[in-house]
Amino acid sequence: MSETTNQLLDNLNALAAGLFLLTAFGIVAMRQIKGCLNLFIIQSLLLAASAALLGLRHQSEHLYGVALVNVITKPLIVPWLLRKTSPAEIYTRREIDQALNIPTSLLMALALAILAYFLAMPLLNAVGPDFRGPNVPIGIAGLLLGAFTLTVRREAVPLLIGLLVMENGAFLTGISISRNLPLLVELAIATDGLIIVFIMGVLTRAVQKHIGTTAVGTLASLKEAAAEPATKEATK
Amino acid sequence: MFNRILFNLFQVIVVLAFAPLISGVLSRLKEIVQSKRGPSIFQPYRDLWKLFHKDEIVSEESSWIFRFTPYIVFVTPIFVALLIPVLTNYPLFFAFMGDMLGGGFVLSLGGFFAALAAVDTANSYGPMGASRTRMVGFLAEPVFMIVFFTVSFVAGSTIPYIVQEKWVTPLANFFAPSHVLLVLAFLMLILAEGGRIPVDNPTGHFELAMIDESKSLEYSGRGMALMKWGGHMKLFVLMCIFLNVLVTPWGLASGQTIAAVLLAVPLVLFKIFCFVLVLVVIESSLAKLRLFRITEFLGAAFITSVAAMITQVFLP
Amino acid sequence: MSVIVILLLPLVATALVCLPFKRHWAAGVTVVSCLTILVLAGRAAWLVSTGNSVTAVLKVGMLKWIAVDGLSALILLLIALVGITAAIFSVGYMAHKNLEPRKLVLYYVNYNLFIFSMLAIPVMAEPTLVWIVVELTTLCSALLVSFENTREALEAAWKYVVLSLMGAAMALFGFLVLFAAMQAAGGGIYTWEGLVAAAPLMPPVLLQTAFLMILIGLGTKAGLVPMHTWLPDAHSQAPSPVCALLSGVETTAILYVILRLFPVMKAAPNSHAEVWALVLGLVSVGTAAFLLLQVRDYKRMFAFSTVEHMGIILAAVGLGASAAGYGAMQQIVSHSITKSFCFFAAGAALLAVETREIAAVRGLIRKSPVASAALIFGGLGITGAPPLAVFLSEFSILRAGLNQRHYLATGLLAVFIVIAFFGVMLHINRMVFGAREGEEAPPTNEHSSGEKEQKLPFSCRLTLLLAAVPVLVLGFYIPRPLHDLLTQAAAALTK
Repeated sequence: MSETTNQLLDNLNALAAGLFLLTAFGIVAMRQIKGCLNLFIIQSLLLAASAALLGLRHQSEHLYGVALVNVITKPLIVPWLLRKTSPAEIYTRREIDQALNIPTSLLMALALAILAYFLAMPLLNAVGPDFRGPNVPIGIAGLLLGAFTLTVRREAVPLLIGLLVMENGAFLTGISISRNLPLLVELAIATDGLIIVFIMGVLTRAVQKHIGTTAVGTLASLKEAAAEPATKEATK
Repeated sequence: MFNRILFNLFQVIVVLAFAPLISGVLSRLKEIVQSKRGPSIFQPYRDLWKLFHKDEIVSEESSWIFRFTPYIVFVTPIFVALLIPVLTNYPLFFAFMGDMLGGGFVLSLGGFFAALAAVDTANSYGPMGASRTRMVGFLAEPVFMIVFFTVSFVAGSTIPYIVQEKWVTPLANFFAPSHVLLVLAFLMLILAEGGRIPVDNPTGHFELAMIDESKSLEYSGRGMALMKWGGHMKLFVLMCIFLNVLVTPWGLASGQTIAAVLLAVPLVLFKIFCFVLVLVVIESSLAKLRLFRITEFLGAAFITSVAAMITQVFLP
Repeated sequence: MSVIVILLLPLVATALVCLPFKRHWAAGVTVVSCLTILVLAGRAAWLVSTGNSVTAVLKVGMLKWIAVDGLSALILLLIALVGITAAIFSVGYMAHKNLEPRKLVLYYVNYNLFIFSMLAIPVMAEPTLVWIVVELTTLCSALLVSFENTREALEAAWKYVVLSLMGAAMALFGFLVLFAAMQAAGGGIYTWEGLVAAAPLMPPVLLQTAFLMILIGLGTKAGLVPMHTWLPDAHSQAPSPVCALLSGVETTAILYVILRLFPVMKAAPNSHAEVWALVLGLVSVGTAAFLLLQVRDYKRMFAFSTVEHMGIILAAVGLGASAAGYGAMQQIVSHSITKSFCFFAAGAALLAVETREIAAVRGLIRKSPVASAALIFGGLGITGAPPLAVFLSEFSILRAGLNQRHYLATGLLAVFIVIAFFGVMLHINRMVFGAREGEEAPPTNEHSSGEKEQKLPFSCRLTLLLAAVPVLVLGFYIPRPLHDLLTQAAAALTK
């Protein structure tokens, strides 16, 4: 592996990570639910690309396996499962209200990304020089941005996508610092992701059926001081 | 040294001469994509010639700003053209007169006066368009700043010629995340500042929806010609900055002879033509954004540029 | 080998339950499988307590997948115990609800899957596999929490799933960093034991980051403050036998995973794991104790009590020393059996009065003496009144704390426990003995307007009796095998 090829691979990996960060921002701000899903698919493909590039760079076949697993499960099976389990008409909608307006949530997401870079510094210093690269900070940023999406969005499917983004972020860090994790374990984690989607889809369908709307972020009737238990009418 | 002054002036002449051509090509291609025939690519020249030979009517209520603005709008892109690499990749005579930030400010000066002039005539559509232009302008400023800062951080200087040398030198840097993200952010900026779809419709005639076009509503004759020409040149200059500094700093003359500089002209025009193709695709496939969505669009540009900055600056 | 059978049994039961036989087929299969699991788990625990530290090892390639030592065996036994009592309680409880057969089958399918996922937590030896199983518990119990399909139940299930999965993603990050730390320390087999062996060589930054992430991430699922917000909702909206499982053993099992990290942190130099545990535990106990004073729903009250007890266990581990570790193990046992009993009592009360609000329930003793006796017994038990099990364990924790000279921490712990005692007993007292306001019929109950006494289903009463026995017995006397098991567990903790 010549020096220039190595540098090219490093740069391509950095590019994949940079675009990963961008898609995470997009998921925070995107209004259309279908757009969120598409961005998530692109993000998973970028994760697979990063894994493949890292595998090429460090000659680790196990990372190729990770890439393959990611390519198969997330872009293909996740949307299919979602379509099967959650009600179909939510994909044609736009999410009208979020907890914050979009420019504000984008600015906060930016602050979180910068925070992730600062948090990653001590970790990068502790891990060997062979492991450096943008994966760790951007993985942590993915984790934080996914958590932020969870708090800001109100519709069911973007919430689910926020969860999956968190997992993607944890994975992006993982592939760069823990390279020899047995493949079977990675496969199991991927299957786990699928089960998450399945269960959440079923729950969303139940929510839609019994409450009438999938704006689950607005469900807030279980409180200590709640005087009237469930008299809020579901708004369509 | 004489050569450098000559090339600098030649650069300005190229900008003056070819800016309307590029605009003509752009509108023709857009029409072709829509299955129409479109006007000739030399139509902007004919329009300018016609306008220069018409009478000018100026409102009595307007002040010196109204009369002065067309000259400012015409001259500011020329000043910027003196500073940026258009044909050569070594610094010319005026290259160190101002850097990229200075160039940005000079362009904003033109926009500022245009907005003032639009308010000056007390036409009801003028101030409406002027306020919208300012909104777009002020939201686009941070993106400009961050793009320039990041680029300067890498290159170690804010002079466009030096940035252009250092920016993409090892070819692998082309794929560096900061590069790609900056290109995306600056592209969104060109769409905003140049008044293209999805920010504004350049071919629209509906005054209530105009953002950028409203600045030339009240002008006629020579004033109108200067405003139009200035607008063409501003787009050309922005494209030159984008292509020659950020994206493809190749094909520029590196020799000091007249022949090399003359050879650079078709190469640069070819690059700009390719970019025009990309612009046409973007413009034909998107719809104009609603007014308050423009803030989200520019917010996205801002985020992209800051993402570029943090991947470049904080990278170990 | 028996461990593998333990794991396979619930899966078999899930498959069998789906067969469309008579009405009580599903319930019967579940009860039988849980009973068998109890027997096998008891045997495994017996073997471990007499000194065989590993009863079953499954190796696939480089991975050592399944291993059972003292701590694992204890948790396994507890899960099996609560599993069987909850299964028996379900028989009567579910039958009372008159569900259509498909929904009942769905309940038992989920029930068995949930038991399977919980049983797998203590036996897995590789941390990432443990993480996967923890996620599985969330997913398998999600549909159980939302079983009643009311608006509140769905909201509770949604909150539960989202917060748990969020915590699990953070924990995944922590586990990956832990793996990287182990690689940096020179490699080795990635199991709990391997971690303890490699701990001294790990870069401290990585180890501490991993510990913090796992503590916060899994602490969300274990109900530690301030990540506990889903717990009162989910643990009150689920059907009562499921609540018993969730509060009694599931939070304990997640806490077990966190506790597994403590020997690792102990072996590494300069770690503040115990300080973290003590602080977090005290905060949890305090917040829960104060929140207990103003609940409006008696199942939520018991759920807050779960938060409190999780805090007590964590604080006990944070006090350090083997005596406190023994106290923590004892507390785990007594909490599991008492809390499941409490939820059975709450379920019985729910069957009697059909409402969860404390304010709407008065004079329960007239309506259903069995339920009220159970509530009083459970309330006394869970808040640590002598001579019941929790009193003994809390006493040993406090004594160990005083021995360790953590006077402030122990004092705070005692104060919070007393506050919780008052909170719970106040509510229960009002519910059981309060005079009825006015002589009208009780608020939401048209069915029993003529009857003064509700007859609980036989299986519910049987469960209450069965579950009360250990609570009472363990308050006086800890049988020798159990004592050995607890010692082994504590040793595994402070190794």
